[in-house]
Amino acid sequence: MHLMLLPGLIFIIIFAYIPMSGLTIAFQKFIPAKGLFGDQTWIGLDNFRYVFELPSFTQVVWNTLYISSLKLILGLVVPIVFAILLNELRNQLVKRSIQTTIYLPYFLSWVVLGGILIDILSPSRGILNEFIMMLGFEPVFFLGDNKWFPVTLVLSDVWKTFGYGTIIYLAALTGIDPGQYEAATIDGANRWQKAWHITIPGMRMVIVLLAVLSLGQLLNAGFDQVFNLYSPQVYQSGDIVDTFVYRIGLLDAQYGVATAVGFFKSVVSFILISVSYFCAYRFAKYRIF
Amino acid sequence: MKGLTPRRRLIKLSVIVLACTLVLSACSSNNSGTGSTDGNGNSNANSGTPADTANGPMTKYDPPIEISMVRNLSDVVENNVLSVLEGETFEDNRWSRIYEEQLGIKINYDWVVKGNPDSDAYKQKMNVTLASGEIPDFTPVDAIQLKQLVDSELIQDMTQYYDQYASPLLKDILEQEGTAPFDAATYDGKLMAIPETGSNMESGMYLWVRTDWLDNLGLEPPKTMADVRAISKAFTENDPDDNGQDDTYGLVATKDLWGGFGGLEGFMAGFNAYPDIWIEDESGELVYGSIQPEVRDALLALQEMTQNGELDKEFGIKDGAKVSEDIASGKIGMEYGEQWNSIWPLQLNVNNDSDAQWQAFPIVSDLADNTSIKVPLKFRTTKFFAVRNGVENPEAIIKLFNMHVEKNWGETAEFDKYYAPPEAESVWQLSPVQPAPPKKNVEAFRAIAAAREANDFSTLEGEAKTIQEKIDSYESGSEEGFALWGWERIYGPDGSMGIADQYDKNGQYLLDKFVGAPTPTLVERQSTLEKLQNEVFVKIILGDPIETFDKFVEDWNNLGGEQITQEVNEWYEQTK
Repeated sequence: MHLMLLPGLIFIIIFAYIPMSGLTIAFQKFIPAKGLFGDQTWIGLDNFRYVFELPSFTQVVWNTLYISSLKLILGLVVPIVFAILLNELRNQLVKRSIQTTIYLPYFLSWVVLGGILIDILSPSRGILNEFIMMLGFEPVFFLGDNKWFPVTLVLSDVWKTFGYGTIIYLAALTGIDPGQYEAATIDGANRWQKAWHITIPGMRMVIVLLAVLSLGQLLNAGFDQVFNLYSPQVYQSGDIVDTFVYRIGLLDAQYGVATAVGFFKSVVSFILISVSYFCAYRFAKYRIF
Repeated sequence: MKGLTPRRRLIKLSVIVLACTLVLSACSSNNSGTGSTDGNGNSNANSGTPADTANGPMTKYDPPIEISMVRNLSDVVENNVLSVLEGETFEDNRWSRIYEEQLGIKINYDWVVKGNPDSDAYKQKMNVTLASGEIPDFTPVDAIQLKQLVDSELIQDMTQYYDQYASPLLKDILEQEGTAPFDAATYDGKLMAIPETGSNMESGMYLWVRTDWLDNLGLEPPKTMADVRAISKAFTENDPDDNGQDDTYGLVATKDLWGGFGGLEGFMAGFNAYPDIWIEDESGELVYGSIQPEVRDALLALQEMTQNGELDKEFGIKDGAKVSEDIASGKIGMEYGEQWNSIWPLQLNVNNDSDAQWQAFPIVSDLADNTSIKVPLKFRTTKFFAVRNGVENPEAIIKLFNMHVEKNWGETAEFDKYYAPPEAESVWQLSPVQPAPPKKNVEAFRAIAAAREANDFSTLEGEAKTIQEKIDSYESGSEEGFALWGWERIYGPDGSMGIADQYDKNGQYLLDKFVGAPTPTLVERQSTLEKLQNEVFVKIILGDPIETFDKFVEDWNNLGGEQITQEVNEWYEQTK
């Protein structure tokens, strides 16, 4: 039976553990053509020192935390509310079609959605801004204004993924004993009271578990999304660790520095995952080992 | 090519034998077309090594050789060249054919990326290629990438090949900008790549102004910086196009800030500010132009202009192509740019609105004497061809160079076939190597101007002749000629090249003082510092407090700028 684990293990060893040897690049003045184990110059912590001196780096870390915590919170609240509302619908056909419709964007890649959003949100010819102007307001430059860019990121991400979350919570709802609702009806509880006192407590375990586990993802603010939507004008508010690494590494060919940033991110993520694992055990009695 | 079957090997052998006999017979007859070469068919009759046959600047390889390169496919080539020329493709066109037929060099591209060499897609592909170590036989790189290749010991010394194979014409052309292009590619006394010498003079800036708007508002062409500000204000506020709407801008900028179209170098020069180049201070040391206090003044002026609505507040996300749409729709009154701007994008404006008229003016400052204003020039040799270790015919790249200059400017030149045929612009860009005489444009202008003076155009030849035909066509007033308006604006009596001629004669050019191989810190920090600078400048122009500039100067120094300045000055000491 344990043999079945083998393909997965090999996969992880090849794609996760072996590449870790590349972390040495973070401490080198790396010249790629000489190879990973070639004759590289060791420069200690110089790459890290340089990164922390960069004025944009603190901003980048802050952006990452800001964008991803907003995504985390809204990504939790919106699907829960939606699941509860859907659950109250009597008509199964309507419920199913809504469920399917909101699930659809989840399957589109950000490359495709990026192109669509740039058109929809354009200040000069996008539908959304034409609507805003029709109401008599100034057009909003969603993808070019540092005030609006993070908001646009968070909202579009929530829109894309909340269908998926909704389905998980709907599944959790089916696990609640219908007897409790019948009892509450007999006691004279209205719909709000039933939702508050039965539905939400019934979902508590799933909510806590998903929330805690997503903590480990806090430094992943969504490379595909940001990369397809940002421009130099909104680096100030929209540049995240992953896009920063991409630019330094692949565009500027500063492999040592890029690896140092990636290493830094991994260390912080590791701490976060450990904390969230501890919390998951503490609050939801969830454990792997 | 691996594993030929015996049959195919036989065919190949017989082809070689046939080809050899052809060469032998060609020797005995007349060997025209390839210029100063001798066939020397004897030594190669039975030896297979091509190196033996390759002894002249343009001797044909026999049997033909295949080489690998990588390239970008620019918008210009895709839209203006390939879409117009029938039966020619990026891989198979008049240039690839002549290289194959006359030099026996077949060029294969390992990859081709759409876009310009400064696009993210190209840079990324190039960096990955360099990092993988699996580079093509001949790689076009910039100075920094060249340094990386030298450090990784992937490429070979070209010194001896250049001396031996470069034709006298090629040497003359590549060395017209002095030794700097070669210095930038020389490491430990070895020439590690062949520079494609660029024309520094071509980066000179002009102030392009819509003269029909000037007339409309009763204004004079700008003579001082104050004039520029006043015209910009008037163009923005006084409805120069008489359409009753507040929809015009005085000046343009692009998100990249600098460059041949809409670049702010010309504006900054009006403040004696020279961003992005190294200049000499009073003590004779080199200092970086971008961090000097004059830049602060220029930024402050631009900030005021943005607040007045004279610059588009959305410029921070608009690249040149996007800004050209504003030009085309007649919203822009002035722009700083290079001499060719009338061909693109200003021609677009004129195509849409035949009343529109633009003219280039010399850049101005508030100095008393306008001929003493310095016109900053960048060091324009940015492309070097590096040759991989183990390539059997390293000199092939030099032969390509030789052929390119020969067919355009040599004795057997067919300028109107290979450079600028009547049916398409920029045909020379089909060739993977594009060396050109650095002063060819201004010399063409001087020839045309002299002919205009003498009223005798029959003496013109080569490029000047082709250009004069375009001007004639424009002046005939035909519909076809109307599309050549842009050429008249460059080489005509009021043309931008006339100003270049003046700049040159007045000694107004101020060339980047640092032209050596990139220093170690420059390699590592340059692009980061440049991005930091441009981000900060865009933000200041869009309204960030000007004190941000002081913080930038501090950051620049701390992040390696100080170190770079030191290294650059060490180089400067050595070359003095």
